[in-house]
Amino acid sequence: MSNLLENTTSRRAPASACLRNTGVVDTSVEVTLHIDGKEVTVPAGTTILVAAKKIGIRIPTLCYHEDLCVAGVCRICVVELEGQERLEASCAYPVTSPIKVRTHTRKVRMARRHILDLMLSKHYGECYACFRNNNCELQALAREYGVDFFRFGHPDKPRYKVDRSSQSLVRDMDKCILCRRCIRTCIDLQEVGVLDIDNRSCESKVVTFGDKPLGDVICINCGQCINRCPTGALRANDPTDDVWAVIDDPTKHVVIQTAPSPRAGIGECFGLEPGQPLTFEMNTSLKECGFDKVFDTNFAADLTIIEEGTELLLRLHKALVEKDESVSIPQFTSCSPGWVKYLEHFYPEYIPNLSTAKSPQQMFGTVIKTYYAQLNNIDPKDIVTVALMPCSAKKFECNRPEMCDSGFKDVDYGLTTRELAQMISEAGIDLPNMPKSDFDDPFGSATGSGVIFGATGGVMEAALRTVIELVCGIKVEDLFEHADIIPVRGFEGIRFMELPITEVGPVPDLLKNLVGDWDWLKGATLKVAVAHGTANAKRVMEDIKAGGRCSECHFIEFMACPGGCLGGGGQPIPTSPAIRAARAKAIYAEDAAYEIRKSHENPAITKIYGEFLKDGPCSHESHKLLHTHYLPRGKYIV
Amino acid sequence: MLVSEREQLRDNIEAWVAQYGANRSSLIPVMSEVQQKYGHISEYVMQVVADILDIHPVEVDSVVSFYSFLGHKSKGRFIVRLCRTISCEMQEKDRVARQLENDLGIRFGETTPDGHFTLEWASCLGMCDQGPALLVNERIYTHVTPEKVHDILEECRGTFGVYRPNAQTMMNIQDTDTSEMTFTGVDGRDGLDKAMKMKPEGIVDAIGESGLKGRGGAGFPTSLKWKLAAEMDDEQKYVVCNADEGEPGTFKDRVILTDFPDLMFDGMTIASRAIGANKGIVYLRGEYMYLRASLEEKLVKRRQDGLLGSNVSGINGFDFDIEIRMGAGAYVCGEETALIESLEGQRGEPRNRPPFPVNTGFMGHPTIVNNVETFAWVPCILVKGSSWFKKIGTEKSTGLKLFSVSGDCEKQGVFEFPLGISIHDLLKEVGGEDAKAVQVGGAAGYCIPAGQFDRAISFEDVATGGSIIVFGPERDMLAVAKNFMEFFLDESCGQCTPCREGNLRLFEGIEMLEEGRCSMKYLKDLRQLGESMQVACKCGLGQASPCAFLSIIDNFNDEIMGRVSAAC
Repeated sequence: MSNLLENTTSRRAPASACLRNTGVVDTSVEVTLHIDGKEVTVPAGTTILVAAKKIGIRIPTLCYHEDLCVAGVCRICVVELEGQERLEASCAYPVTSPIKVRTHTRKVRMARRHILDLMLSKHYGECYACFRNNNCELQALAREYGVDFFRFGHPDKPRYKVDRSSQSLVRDMDKCILCRRCIRTCIDLQEVGVLDIDNRSCESKVVTFGDKPLGDVICINCGQCINRCPTGALRANDPTDDVWAVIDDPTKHVVIQTAPSPRAGIGECFGLEPGQPLTFEMNTSLKECGFDKVFDTNFAADLTIIEEGTELLLRLHKALVEKDESVSIPQFTSCSPGWVKYLEHFYPEYIPNLSTAKSPQQMFGTVIKTYYAQLNNIDPKDIVTVALMPCSAKKFECNRPEMCDSGFKDVDYGLTTRELAQMISEAGIDLPNMPKSDFDDPFGSATGSGVIFGATGGVMEAALRTVIELVCGIKVEDLFEHADIIPVRGFEGIRFMELPITEVGPVPDLLKNLVGDWDWLKGATLKVAVAHGTANAKRVMEDIKAGGRCSECHFIEFMACPGGCLGGGGQPIPTSPAIRAARAKAIYAEDAAYEIRKSHENPAITKIYGEFLKDGPCSHESHKLLHTHYLPRGKYIV
Repeated sequence: MLVSEREQLRDNIEAWVAQYGANRSSLIPVMSEVQQKYGHISEYVMQVVADILDIHPVEVDSVVSFYSFLGHKSKGRFIVRLCRTISCEMQEKDRVARQLENDLGIRFGETTPDGHFTLEWASCLGMCDQGPALLVNERIYTHVTPEKVHDILEECRGTFGVYRPNAQTMMNIQDTDTSEMTFTGVDGRDGLDKAMKMKPEGIVDAIGESGLKGRGGAGFPTSLKWKLAAEMDDEQKYVVCNADEGEPGTFKDRVILTDFPDLMFDGMTIASRAIGANKGIVYLRGEYMYLRASLEEKLVKRRQDGLLGSNVSGINGFDFDIEIRMGAGAYVCGEETALIESLEGQRGEPRNRPPFPVNTGFMGHPTIVNNVETFAWVPCILVKGSSWFKKIGTEKSTGLKLFSVSGDCEKQGVFEFPLGISIHDLLKEVGGEDAKAVQVGGAAGYCIPAGQFDRAISFEDVATGGSIIVFGPERDMLAVAKNFMEFFLDESCGQCTPCREGNLRLFEGIEMLEEGRCSMKYLKDLRQLGESMQVACKCGLGQASPCAFLSIIDNFNDEIMGRVSAAC
């Protein structure tokens, strides 16, 4: 096994995960310090900021982020140490001796105010014309520190052009305060490496390679930088005006599919604590907004499980029975468009390993403009499909030129959770207090398996539930209590599971066209892995290259975003490990509440294979509509 | 670019990576090679290097853009860099600048259409006693006059085709006037031999007894730094010599590097024995490229003499060698953690402290970083005795110190004085008695008015790394302050808010004063901003950046006042 897997954090460890190692202090030793006269005991190496938080003392921060390595550059968190003239950045200062700290002396307040004044002297833009109005960390601090005039001036015209070249992201460097969170997100957390600092001194700014437009570089559109930007310098490419326009157009039949993660997060945009799902209130609100139909993306997630699971079984059959050495194993999941683009850029030679199955969003788009259009006798050219996603990369995905198998653009608009929240509030709807309503037919409510797609490990769990039942002929509940496949859950960067296939059952009707029996799988051990965040994906890929443990796996789930879709780049801001954990809890709770929790038991799935995709999964027709191909992009930019 | 050219380029890069090592630490040396051979660093090169070193192209881009001597833009075959820092400014560099622009027909920052010349500004070239100074590629010219500009350019034009940028050309440089120096009378080899007979702790103690403090200006006790590093349990430790002499008005390290490099190497070797290091690195500023060849020769000689390599000085198991690494034009790399970042192939941005380099320095290993002069004093102290050194100077600032003196005085050059000398006495020695102010410690130091000339130059009063700039009665102190702020405006690394934006506002404030647009209230705001910068900046250089501004505003109120706008 290669040692690549041992380190499950990013290149430089995030603030939440590390004591500041000073090289001399034993971190098992406890130190007692005083902050504003209050005593607190912490392990040596704990930062002043964390120690203060422990006793309820709040120190303002900007460049600090729990998910990211310490920078100590904005200096807003400076505090005074007794007996020391200069101030220290509390986010970066490790406590190793019983120091006495003051967090709001005159000197500290003065310095913070000056730092804010300096930031504002470069921050172009008006708060009321900014999408982060009322959710901006700079604005909040300006209010907190009583900024009522611009001491060192304020720019009256923009210095930079807004970069709208990307289909997913918009960069407005006039709002950038150079906290470098986006850089640390891109390089250290995600290891994509699109953004870094250019030049030095007051000329420095955040740039892409060669200062090229974002649309021309190797950005995977994960949008993690958006979620961590304290101001409005980074945002998703917002299509709400276009969506309103089609809603208002009476000739259009506007259909929205909603992914599982936005439901678990949208409440945060309306002041609720993280982890309070509003699935059915949202359905009502969407109708109120004017959408003609509201469908559950989970139907397509279930469809994906059938297609992708079948594809895996076919690959294994080819490898084990037909002894075809050209078949690429492990099979990689393909539902995360950020991950797909990451692979296309950094590991294009592994494209054959990617499942050809489209993501649920794209499958649903195709199904709506074909199957649903036929059923309801609507001309697909009049159907507009909108996808509510927790994701910024989905905007890029729906614009991929190959995504028009229905004969039309399969998904017209990708909408993020934040953008929908904006539409709902614009319509004057009080989301948390709306009555509940169900999803529309013919797709109805899906299964618990579809719901857990939102969390890292969810696709794997859903796939395993189906594979166990279809192949082994037993109930998942016989192996895992309440069908909860715990080993693939959690937030560990890379997780493994092995499932020995001790017995096999009869081949179900759905797959009879493809295989005669399962005997060839008897005695085999199915090895799977789960990785979330592209930094972990990189580790897995390097391990595969080196012939390590991951290369022995049969199926690997990859999600571009830390935590999976629930931590996606379209989710409410802010994000933190605790917020993501709360959203995950909500998702698993919703799964547990479903009566049907396995994709293959979804009646709508049975129906579509019975009525429409009659040759079953991975057939010619399903390949035409539900599968796709990829583009080896490489990492060199010409 | 042709495919064959690309292949050639890739081959070259691979050869350089093989030479310097296949890790990120090689990034700056490799980039410097590319810059030298191709005149610029193309996007293709950056991507190839990133690929080979397993980093992101944007990181390479970021590093290249940080250093003045590296760049993506295609530059001329001759890069003409004129020093614009204070001492050269005071020696009519503006006339030279105008002549350069006239002769070449381009402005600063531009390249001639034929691609032969690029004209750029440089921060202090360390030739403050012989200004204005001009660097053409690696060749330095001093006492440049508008008349000489034409000759220099003609020489370049004439030698075109056979001009070898690597050729070591020292004849342009006059000897720097120096006072009598202790260094002349000491054979460092004696100190080294003596040290090799001592236990490592004994060396630390001897240096401790002398009271030697860091000669770079911060004044940290040398023996304490060594002791902390010696106590670290690590097989790999580093001795780094900070030869990134970039503080405006400082050039004493250049003299040591030219005339007494062996003393410095002896000092480094003794230090490595004291802390248990096996690797030494001299971080030589890019502006001193012309000194590299002679230093490398000295190192070869030392290896031949058994003073470097395995079993140094015949001591079994004591392995130590020294490598020279070049800076690439960034003042902030004189800050020790920025220097280490630079050695690791990063932008020269100071780190959060703690942890300190003695605990986790270069590549995470215990590292001591000392100034050139500090190392040079070490063998002298061992030869002449700790008590000899301790007796000189004051209680807290013992020993002798080299001072780089420039500006409005009769004798510019490098002088050796005991620490604790009053500014008044110093001025008498260099013939600058009529000065109205002295800048002690360079751009990061303080401007001392005549009324305070009885103050002592020492760590407990006015500290300096050696820079003494004398201002005569006619000098416009606001112009002086402006020059210093201009310096920081260019040289701030830009990572922390107060230094990055604060220096910009202070600079603008001076412009406003010049134009009579600065109200008393705003001047007060700027003063307070300066005070905040002194306590809130991330590194020592940032904290020191407003000092010159503040001391000039405070001490030359009468000169400033007349320019404050009436509107309050």
